[in-house]
Amino acid sequence: MTNMNEVASQPGFGTSPHASGVDLGQVAPKMFARDVNFHYNDFHALKNISMDVPEKKVTAIIGPSGCGKSTLLRIFNRIYAIYPGLRASGEIILDGENILDPKYSLNRLRSKVGMVFQKPVPFPMTIFENVAYGIRHHEKLSRADMENRVEQALRGAALWDEVKDKLKNSALGLSGGQQQRLCIARGIALKPEVLLLDEPTSALDPIATSRIEQLVEELKKDFTIVIVTHNMQQAARVSDMTAFMYMGELIEFDRTEKIFTKPDKKQTEDYITGRFG
Amino acid sequence: MHATVSTAMPSAERAAEAARNAKDSRDDRLFGWVLKGCALIVLLSLVGAAGSTLWLGMDAFHTFGFGFLTSAAWDPSNDQYGALVPIMGTVGTAFIALLFAVPVSFGIALFLTEIAPQWLRGPVSSAIELLAGIPSIIYGMWGLFIFAPFVAEHIKPWLMNNFSADPPDGQVSWLVQHVPSIAKFFSSEYPFFGAGVLTAGLVLAVMIIPFISSVMREVFQTVPTRLKESAYALGSSTWEVVWDIVVPYTRTAVIGGVFLGLGRALGETMAVAFVLGNTFKLTPSILETGSSIASTIANQFGEAQGLQRSALMALAFLLFVVTFIVLLIARLMLRRLANREGK
Amino acid sequence: MSASLYTIRRIKNVVAMALSVFATAIGLLFLAWILWETLSQGIAGLKPQLFTKITAYREEGGLANAMVGSLILNIIGILIATPIGVAAGTWLAEYSSRSKLGPTIRFLNDILLSAPSIVLGLFVYTVIVLPSKWLTNGDVTFSGIAGGIALALIALPVIVRTTDEMLRLVPGTLREAALSLGVPQWKLTMQILVRAARSGIVTGVLLALARISGETAPLLFTAFGNNFMTFNPIDKMPSLPQVIYEYTKDPSPDINVLAWAGAFVLTMFVLALSLIARFVFSRSKVSHD
Repeated sequence: MTNMNEVASQPGFGTSPHASGVDLGQVAPKMFARDVNFHYNDFHALKNISMDVPEKKVTAIIGPSGCGKSTLLRIFNRIYAIYPGLRASGEIILDGENILDPKYSLNRLRSKVGMVFQKPVPFPMTIFENVAYGIRHHEKLSRADMENRVEQALRGAALWDEVKDKLKNSALGLSGGQQQRLCIARGIALKPEVLLLDEPTSALDPIATSRIEQLVEELKKDFTIVIVTHNMQQAARVSDMTAFMYMGELIEFDRTEKIFTKPDKKQTEDYITGRFG
Repeated sequence: MHATVSTAMPSAERAAEAARNAKDSRDDRLFGWVLKGCALIVLLSLVGAAGSTLWLGMDAFHTFGFGFLTSAAWDPSNDQYGALVPIMGTVGTAFIALLFAVPVSFGIALFLTEIAPQWLRGPVSSAIELLAGIPSIIYGMWGLFIFAPFVAEHIKPWLMNNFSADPPDGQVSWLVQHVPSIAKFFSSEYPFFGAGVLTAGLVLAVMIIPFISSVMREVFQTVPTRLKESAYALGSSTWEVVWDIVVPYTRTAVIGGVFLGLGRALGETMAVAFVLGNTFKLTPSILETGSSIASTIANQFGEAQGLQRSALMALAFLLFVVTFIVLLIARLMLRRLANREGK
Repeated sequence: MSASLYTIRRIKNVVAMALSVFATAIGLLFLAWILWETLSQGIAGLKPQLFTKITAYREEGGLANAMVGSLILNIIGILIATPIGVAAGTWLAEYSSRSKLGPTIRFLNDILLSAPSIVLGLFVYTVIVLPSKWLTNGDVTFSGIAGGIALALIALPVIVRTTDEMLRLVPGTLREAALSLGVPQWKLTMQILVRAARSGIVTGVLLALARISGETAPLLFTAFGNNFMTFNPIDKMPSLPQVIYEYTKDPSPDINVLAWAGAFVLTMFVLALSLIARFVFSRSKVSHD
């Protein structure tokens, strides 16, 4: 994992906090990307992305498949770095520090930025252990404290009532929707500041989907959320800010109601109205 | 403005963080090295097997030089060792094994992929695979006590009556009268003795059938259904689909499977140790007794000393190199299909 | 299309199909034949003393020491091969993607899988038996340890291959999910991936055990054999396949009967192991999804 970032050194904040120049109202950006480029071997997957992620709001990233929306999300916690041949450059500033700087500790980044994936991926262990697993790596807790933390996380993910009597059961026995909420619990158990959701409902049925959407609404009280979705209605329902991406470029980024009612760009309008993608 | 809000960590916490990162990456590196070391043991055992047999076989290679490969004299009482008879026996039995195992395996694979009704495929292929699970010593016993007498009673007399110059029924066949050269492949000093090259080859054939047929079945299954369906749609018969579509499509891998079986047959010890006869006379006849490299080692290494032990090690080295090359070819051919599948 | 061409094609097809059915019948026939002989001859030789008496008593004895020896040798073999094999397979599946060495070792492992076992036995003879002879002035020569190592070399590629294959079946998202919690790679590997692939790996170990239980050739010059009961791993050690080998060569029919009985026990053991392996594997498929 060498030299992930060509422009690592200079602190990229101070002059223009609003990298994309979009008015977020009174909300300060928790995290912002500046001139992020991403290469997959020779393929230029993301081109000069700059955007702000406001604190304790839901930011949705939408766009046709292959537009780079998941790629962008996967840069926010550097999970892409586990595969060879992937390179990101530019800056992503989280709380004033550039997370793309190789010196930025992965342990720290991943305890601050949690992620939930498309398909629910419970670990092959008990429900309790699934939630406790990540915590153990970052903190030494007493048994009682740990039980507390797990309960908190499961409550936070609106799963506690369903699983409180079977914490010792294998997580693989839960339904898909429950598994996904377990994964959210696992993510928030580390008390991250940012939560990344990568199409979290694409593998779920409509009922489970609406539960997750309600949950997202709840979670934004405590967390800054970025959600990637291919479902425009979902973006409209849950998000405060929406970014529209197309072919590796950020076409438009604005308040969700604006994007969905009177977008500035023709491409955005075409996509929103279903004329392509 | 958020620049001023920057939530910098206290320096003690930062130091702990750094220590933990250092520990994590050190543990990760160490873990990776240990795993890699274990993977290298695979490499080491192949190199070690070749190296150790070559090293202890050096004496024999030096003493007999190239003649070790071409001399048919294997005579412990005079300390003379030539590898020709065991080499011929190994190659001969493996060749006979392939001669029988390849068509039978092809038939089984064909049956399991194209002909058998769906409900029959599972049980039959499990049963064939069961054959592969039987220990080779059991094949050897069955070969010695059951199959060799069967050969002596039913197969050998028929072969000798029809193809040898000295038939038990006294009547030299029409074929042998007109093509006398064929008789030397079917002569036998002891007509009522079941052990011999043919018997050993047949036992090996039974042993490698499950290996070859399961590879063939697997590669036949990689043929895209649409390819077969479009041929069926043109009115082709099952056989025509197999011969014109399936076989050309899978040819390389099928040959790879055959080589895999060959590798097994060459290196097998116990299945042939009893039924080959362990004699060291050079003969072209498949009804005569002989020896193979592996059976010679198994029979003689225990009491061998000095030059004899070195000669046996040299034999083992030859066997290892030959099977390595055969298996290398097999895997390369099978890999080509795997690569195509991956695309 | 002329009628005669059609007939020829049809006849060709029927003949080919018939030959194929015939080939399958031959395969099954031989299987039935071998199993039947092992069963009938073996059961004829079964008697309680087979499991209680040792080979030193020849016709009057049993195979108890050989069975115990086999058990010890198999345990040594599996105990050596399992950690190394699982580690090597894990390296192939999880760590080797960035190095050229990975595909090479995977390829060579497949070759080791079918390498002649007698040569592997001679390898262990050279690197274990001979040195221990020199080092101990001939007190220790052939030994259970040497036999176990020879068996481990045969079990190793089986375990490496199944571990590698099973780990590669584990969905990549599981890795991402664990890494996104900040867990280091070694913890991810040991605590999540190996656990997710556990039943597949157990299947591989069972298959390896089945494979080495029937091996004779590599034991001849490593464990050697012993007519007495021994639990000492640096002693010469008997094994069931090796005693079957000796007893089959024996001219006495009474001894041959014991060989059949041993063959029966061995075959049942090996087949039971492969059945258990299949069972474990089929369960692993169910629990994965």
